[in-house]
Amino acid sequence: MPEIRVTPLGAGQDVGRSCILVSIAGKNVMLDCGMHMGFNDDRRFPDFSYITQNGRLTDFLDCVIISHFHLDHCGALPYFSEMVGYDGPIYMTHPTQAICPILLEDYRKIAVDKKGEANFFTSQMIKDCMKKVVAVHLHQTVQVDDELEIKAYYAGHVLGAAMFQIKVGSESVVYTGDYNMTPDRHLGAAWIDKCRPNLLITESTYATTIRDSKRCRERDFLKKVHETVERGGKVLIPVFALGRAQELCILLETFWERMNLKVPIYFSTGLTEKANHYYKLFIPWTNQKIRKTFVQRNMFEFKHIKAFDRAFADNPGPMVVFATPGMLHAGQSLQIFRKWAGNEKNMVIMPGYCVQGTVGHKILSGQRKLEMEGRQLEVKMQVEYMSFSAHADAKGIMQLVGQAEPESVLLVHGEAKKMEFLKQKIEQELRVNCYMPANGETVTLPTSPSIPVGISLGLLKREMAQGLLPEAKKPRLLHGTLIMKDSNFRLVSSEQALKELGLAEHQLRFTCRVHLHDTRKEQETALRVYSHLKSVLKDHCVQHLPDGSVTVESVLLQAAAPSEDPGTKVLLVSWTYQDEELGSFLTSLLKKGLPQAPS
Amino acid sequence: MDPGDDWLVESLRLYQDFYAFDLSGATRVLEWIDDKVFVAGYESLKKNEILHLKLPLRLSVKENKGLFPERDFKVRHGGFSDRSIFDLKHVPHTRLLVTSGLPGCYLQVWQVAEDSDVIKAVSTIAVHEKEESLWPRVAVFSTLAPGVLHGARLRSLQVVDLESRKTTYTSDVSDSEELSSLQVLDADTFAFCCASGRLGLVDTRQKWAPLENRSPGPGSGGERWCAEVGSWGQGPGPSIASLGSDGRLCLLDPRDLCHPVSSVQCPVSVPSPDPELLRVTWAPGLKNCLAISGFDGTVQVYDATSWDGTRSQDGTRSQVEPLFTHRGHIFLDGNGMDPAPLVTTHTWHPCRPRTLLSATNDASLHVWDWVDLCAPR
Repeated sequence: MPEIRVTPLGAGQDVGRSCILVSIAGKNVMLDCGMHMGFNDDRRFPDFSYITQNGRLTDFLDCVIISHFHLDHCGALPYFSEMVGYDGPIYMTHPTQAICPILLEDYRKIAVDKKGEANFFTSQMIKDCMKKVVAVHLHQTVQVDDELEIKAYYAGHVLGAAMFQIKVGSESVVYTGDYNMTPDRHLGAAWIDKCRPNLLITESTYATTIRDSKRCRERDFLKKVHETVERGGKVLIPVFALGRAQELCILLETFWERMNLKVPIYFSTGLTEKANHYYKLFIPWTNQKIRKTFVQRNMFEFKHIKAFDRAFADNPGPMVVFATPGMLHAGQSLQIFRKWAGNEKNMVIMPGYCVQGTVGHKILSGQRKLEMEGRQLEVKMQVEYMSFSAHADAKGIMQLVGQAEPESVLLVHGEAKKMEFLKQKIEQELRVNCYMPANGETVTLPTSPSIPVGISLGLLKREMAQGLLPEAKKPRLLHGTLIMKDSNFRLVSSEQALKELGLAEHQLRFTCRVHLHDTRKEQETALRVYSHLKSVLKDHCVQHLPDGSVTVESVLLQAAAPSEDPGTKVLLVSWTYQDEELGSFLTSLLKKGLPQAPS
Repeated sequence: MDPGDDWLVESLRLYQDFYAFDLSGATRVLEWIDDKVFVAGYESLKKNEILHLKLPLRLSVKENKGLFPERDFKVRHGGFSDRSIFDLKHVPHTRLLVTSGLPGCYLQVWQVAEDSDVIKAVSTIAVHEKEESLWPRVAVFSTLAPGVLHGARLRSLQVVDLESRKTTYTSDVSDSEELSSLQVLDADTFAFCCASGRLGLVDTRQKWAPLENRSPGPGSGGERWCAEVGSWGQGPGPSIASLGSDGRLCLLDPRDLCHPVSSVQCPVSVPSPDPELLRVTWAPGLKNCLAISGFDGTVQVYDATSWDGTRSQDGTRSQVEPLFTHRGHIFLDGNGMDPAPLVTTHTWHPCRPRTLLSATNDASLHVWDWVDLCAPR
């Protein structure tokens, strides 16, 4: 039974870690390999024992696909490939390939150095893992093997994020990863063509929300920054070098220009080089179909944003500083934080999630007294947690499904009871089936793949020559031989098939004996049979041959006289197996007896 | 520069907080239960959605607001309606809703599921008189046995016990005046406002004998009126506000409905393009504060404290200026394009004194917390 099987791997009712197993036409693909940031033990990794209880996973998976560099989508990759064991290809886009190892290394440092964790992947493992990566371009069809192919589509969300189409023959699945349908200031909106996959797999974490507009989020950020600098305070924004920073810089630059503000904005050292690196990764990425969504200038060259020098942190007066790293766990952002934390006029804006163990995580949990290098630090500065990451809400999901036109939709990471309404909405408005598996639950979708069969011209011509024209509503029985070779199917005449296979043709004939009561000689019996059949079978070609036998089309009738009983004649009715119908019909007809001969 | 961006910069000064959402369909309904609000679509040719929305957490927490990054509405429950919905009322202490729409031959009763997120239609309530193009106004008596007050005209007013479906009160009059609003004030009293401006207070313990006025004043021809009663039974003073489609706003004392305490002219573009959308509301958290909408894409907030006896010497109404005008829908949604959006309804947040919600005919929904520029900082 052809089918597609999907299993989101994961333990319990958690959300926030993506790792989905898809079986399609005999191929097994793993989609994303995320880490759950909330757990400190093995629960943070996906449950790979579902694939196999022991041993390496290389033989069980045809490929692994990573949608983007967020740790809840790629955080478990080095563990999976180096500690559990996988040597096959790992596909991702070029920017993802460039950025993943940086974030993985950052995360490793926090986990091992800050939290002293054991059984975590090493720097070498990250390097070895990345060696298995095969980078892909947008809209490029990549042959994984001679049956499985994949293609990446633009997803928006973050630099390098892609949605993937996985195709085997005529069956396909699209996995969206994280995406957004509203463009932001430097990334466009997700886009996919009407590829009509059997199944579209999408995250449903935000499916039951209605998003606040991007403008209002930006307004909130600007308001906080503006209010702080207006009262003479300093704003610290810890960022990852290669992520949201660019978006926020463009926003502030636009606002400063508009308001003619003179308060200095700084990029901490190292960020400028990284920004250039980001820009270099970014430009080829934007060349695909997304240029038109934003302004054509080097938007990463800022007029109002200057390079930071650590001495500036002690300058009096208001300023805004973007500094790395993003979770305040080390380096320059932490240094600046320690200098500014004691003044309530100052503000720190955290633009994203912080891992447990970092200062960022502590202050976002409300902690106001921190222990740092043996000294107490009292945090009087304002702490603001803002979310800028763009995800698709219910409306966005409906839009994307409308673009791709799948047969079915599968939502992962949601609770079915809490999404009954959304399921009804999708099924009614878009006329597609909607599945919502729990983590660890497998959904099986039956598919009906179309198998194309080529018919030989000779066979077609022969059928046409039979005389009767094809009728659209009446099925016609066709005899032929199906040859399956090299993944393709041909229907040819039997003779052709025998020739191709180098076999001799055998003919199968059936013979039936019909006993007739007739005292005359067999030749006369044959004549009687001939007259009878000629008068009854007006549509068929009935012939009386010189040797006394009668033919009805290809059926041969011969009369013989058995020695025992002169009053009985035996009629031998013989036909080839192709003429079974006619043969049986004649036999039954003759068994009813012949009309009385005129004396 | 984008006028939307300009307005956004202005908004930094004008609003504490501001949220803008795009619903899947425009709503004329904003009904509260605790911290959640119901909206419902009113399209006539396709299925409409009833949504039960939870406001972003930031709007309900008292402390450490800054630590809550979510700014989205959460859809807690949803349901589908084949009819357009023009009014939705929650039956207090139950999980039931009553809606009214066109065609106006019945009211629909819904159940908000407890174990899933579905709102299901469960039964209907027949109306006294079937109207082609009028939909019955609805209000709910939240007594031990809840009763649904409904009617499209004065003569079709009745109260139906929700459980037994028996009619417990009828107006029993032949007056065919069209109703524009109904409001339950306490266990025995309700207020009505007719489209003509005729106001009345009815005690259901007696046969129909409302305390009423007749018309708001001379020269009232063709305008449409709506009204809302503010804090009922909380002392003397004007507690009824009546708004006309010509921009007149009257404040009345329930003890003397024939003589408004004040009558002012609001600076709005008249006539209103759809007088059925007129809405006037009292602020639950601010004394003497009102909001009006339905004339254009704005919501205006007024402070009526100094209006007592407002009337010029020559008897004409005096112009008043709003304390605040919300223009977000014009700049953010339409972006200055034609046709300009029209506010379909607005409501005050029950706990946050200066927070309002407003919705327009192009499916936008704003939540805004305006800054009182006149108040001492």
